[in-house]
Amino acid sequence: MTVAIREIAGIFARMGFGIAYGPELEDEWYNFDALNVPPDHPARDMQDTFWTKEETPRPPRTHTTSVTARELKRLADEGRNEGRMVMPARVFRNEATDMTHEAQFYQVDGYAVGPTGTVTLAHLKGTLEQFYKEYLGKDARVRFRPSFFGFTEPSVEVDVWYEIPGKEGRWLEVSGGGMLHPAVMRSAGLDPDAVQGFAFGGGIERLVMVKYGVPDVRLFHNGDVRFIYGFDEAPA
Amino acid sequence: MKASVAWLQKYFDEPLPRVEELVDALTFHSSEVEEVIGEGEDVALDVKILPDRASYGLCHRGVAYELAASLGRSLSEDPLRTPLPEYRAGKPAPVVVAIDDPEKCRRYMAARITGAKVGPSPEWLRRALERVGQRSINNVVDATNYVMLNIGQPLHAFDAAKLEGKDGVPQVRVRGAHAGESITSLTGEEYTFPEGTLLIADGTSGAPLGIAGVKGGKAAELTEATTDLVIEAANFEAAGIRKASQALKLWTDASLRFQNNLSPELVAYGMRDVVALILELAGGELQGVVDAYPNPEAPHAPVTATREMLNGLLGTGFSTDDIEGALARLSLPYVIEGETFTVRPPFERRDIAIWQDLAEEVGRILGYERVEPAALPAMQDAPDQKRYTGIEAIKDVLVAHGFTEISTPSFAAEGEIALANPLQQERPFLRASLAANMEEALTRAASVTPRVLGPEPMLKLFELGTVFTKDGEHLALALGYRQLEGKASSAVLDEAVDALTTAFPASGIRKPEGMQGGGSSASAPAGGPPASLMELSLEDAGFDAIGAQASLARISLGAYTPFSLYPFALRDIAVWTPEGTEESQVALLIQEQAGPLLARMDLFDRFEKAGDEGVRVSYAFRLVFQADDRTLSDADIDPLMARITDALNANEGWQVR
Repeated sequence: MTVAIREIAGIFARMGFGIAYGPELEDEWYNFDALNVPPDHPARDMQDTFWTKEETPRPPRTHTTSVTARELKRLADEGRNEGRMVMPARVFRNEATDMTHEAQFYQVDGYAVGPTGTVTLAHLKGTLEQFYKEYLGKDARVRFRPSFFGFTEPSVEVDVWYEIPGKEGRWLEVSGGGMLHPAVMRSAGLDPDAVQGFAFGGGIERLVMVKYGVPDVRLFHNGDVRFIYGFDEAPA
Repeated sequence: MKASVAWLQKYFDEPLPRVEELVDALTFHSSEVEEVIGEGEDVALDVKILPDRASYGLCHRGVAYELAASLGRSLSEDPLRTPLPEYRAGKPAPVVVAIDDPEKCRRYMAARITGAKVGPSPEWLRRALERVGQRSINNVVDATNYVMLNIGQPLHAFDAAKLEGKDGVPQVRVRGAHAGESITSLTGEEYTFPEGTLLIADGTSGAPLGIAGVKGGKAAELTEATTDLVIEAANFEAAGIRKASQALKLWTDASLRFQNNLSPELVAYGMRDVVALILELAGGELQGVVDAYPNPEAPHAPVTATREMLNGLLGTGFSTDDIEGALARLSLPYVIEGETFTVRPPFERRDIAIWQDLAEEVGRILGYERVEPAALPAMQDAPDQKRYTGIEAIKDVLVAHGFTEISTPSFAAEGEIALANPLQQERPFLRASLAANMEEALTRAASVTPRVLGPEPMLKLFELGTVFTKDGEHLALALGYRQLEGKASSAVLDEAVDALTTAFPASGIRKPEGMQGGGSSASAPAGGPPASLMELSLEDAGFDAIGAQASLARISLGAYTPFSLYPFALRDIAVWTPEGTEESQVALLIQEQAGPLLARMDLFDRFEKAGDEGVRVSYAFRLVFQADDRTLSDADIDPLMARITDALNANEGWQVR
């Protein structure tokens, strides 16, 4: 995971993205409200989200988009209107675990905002295509499909074309994204008529699984050194 | 949502294209098709209607509308654009409706049909329902289901004779449940309601007839003897239906649609179609229709966007013709002035409220493949990755000192902050310390060390992760050490911390107090060598300052090879060779003879000795054998060792010791 994130961080650094941090145990506001998730939305249910047993229950964050909410607020507080950050970090979902699902995993979320018209859906496509080309290989291509997330409009599902050496290429569903919803901008204290930008997010384990041929996502965070030494060393 | 292709075809004059084309059209312009079910006439698409489109998309009309827009065709007839009949309520009204809370029940239409004949459905209807996985019940119930699946409005039919009624007029009341009230559903299950659950009740006797928007009750069930019907078409508030479904653990075709916020306008279309279909299939006479609609919904506000706004969000160069084409394909009423579009969303399109929604409509219909990837402009300031770099620099120092990084779960058996809904009962807390997981990892690692690390005398692990305490969360560093062979050192962990403080003198990294000389010694496993571990808070480590100075090691990895879940076996072999023999020569020979069961080999000893026959070199290897599919026994390994020994001895001047 350290190796993967280091590579991811490097690729995004070359495109001007910093790395932002936020709490893993998040306020409900930043995990949901600030991201235009309605109060009665099913995503907040105990079936999907862990909650603490506290006077004011808090969720271990379900995505690092909560850090986007915090960072956008910081931009607004500092009177700025542009910025780019990625957040590769641990998130939590209350779901049954199997070979492709874990209750805790790593996600890389990111955003880029700027004055209206300067950061578009085309830039999201370009940024992600560049990222996947550098991370998975130069043949990687990105395609968008319509999707829905409360915090983006329009919203897209991101597929990447990936060719495993010696095998036939295929499209993989790797992340979601879109243009930040005006309600998210307003929650952060930014003027949605003046500032515009994109956001995206996807699981890191899945990318690593695809890139190196790891069969089971549960191997990542169980503390077993056999997993760590299962990778061939390649010269830097 | 399962959509039958034969059913969708009814919406088009021309034959629809091949199924593959339908799948692509929906997936790339509307919602993903998860599965194609059945073959030939019976083929159905399982369409994963997106949540924002569910208020109009969870029906054949909705899927046909999306297909028409995606394929650039028009619907031969749109049931939501054809006029509604003017019903006579009749005097006296043939059915009476009362709504207690118009916010929870926004509209309730009821029709009364007398003289109907309940019986089996015709073949076309039975097949239509079966193609989408539904079972035929009788002509009246099938009619309500068919209309729901066709245009999305849930409907229900009561046996009017089973309502108490007043002066021969059945009465229906929509009210909240009293504490402890219960109902037997149509399929015979008993449900006790949380107080306030919305019910359909007999307005005269007060008895519950159904769970509003979820499921009907047994009390007014249709039978073959039924001739007198009350038909319900209603609209219930979405959040209330979702809560009721959840509380009762009862999800139905009706509740699924209501919880997606249907338009109350749709009610009248559902009533029009179901009454017509029941009269056609079951005969009888329509006595009248009443419509309780206390606060009619206002038309949606118009949404305005300019060409520049749309292109400025999508990063495209669409012309006004392009945009007009997309709006026309979606049958969205609009006016254009110069390059400004004003769209009046029809009642069922509850997803179009802001101009960004229009951008999505235009983008998806014209196709996201027309969005050309663009690079972001360069930023003036260098990106800020200081904190990240600082954290990673700490890892690099530890790796340089022979430590291996691990990652373990954030949930723990003990801690300070409990979860209300833990996934595993044995891990109900967020971890307040990394120590327990480190201890477990050391024990587990010790048992596999010869396999992964070779003949290492010591095991050194670290984890850098978040811990959660009542005072907040912070990053912590756990260091673990275990001596596997030979004498344990008490200084290993101290040296690691010293290395960190030497590398980052200005940082706040300090040995934990009271932990001199090896840190807190963990309990040694029975008979095993002692382990020690140390945990440091990195709360005040000053990552930004570290990161501003540091540059990180670059590591790349090759392919992953899954490890075997079966135990490994160890064998040592030592061989005398003539002077000048290379280690690789010996290793190659061993590998050739051992075959695929040899999981790794490590040289653990080499020495030279001068004797009568000149200088000889001894090489000693430790061989690790392991299979992916079974536990190896001596019967597997002994013959291999014999072959290796023979092969080595076959060389001039070589001798296995």
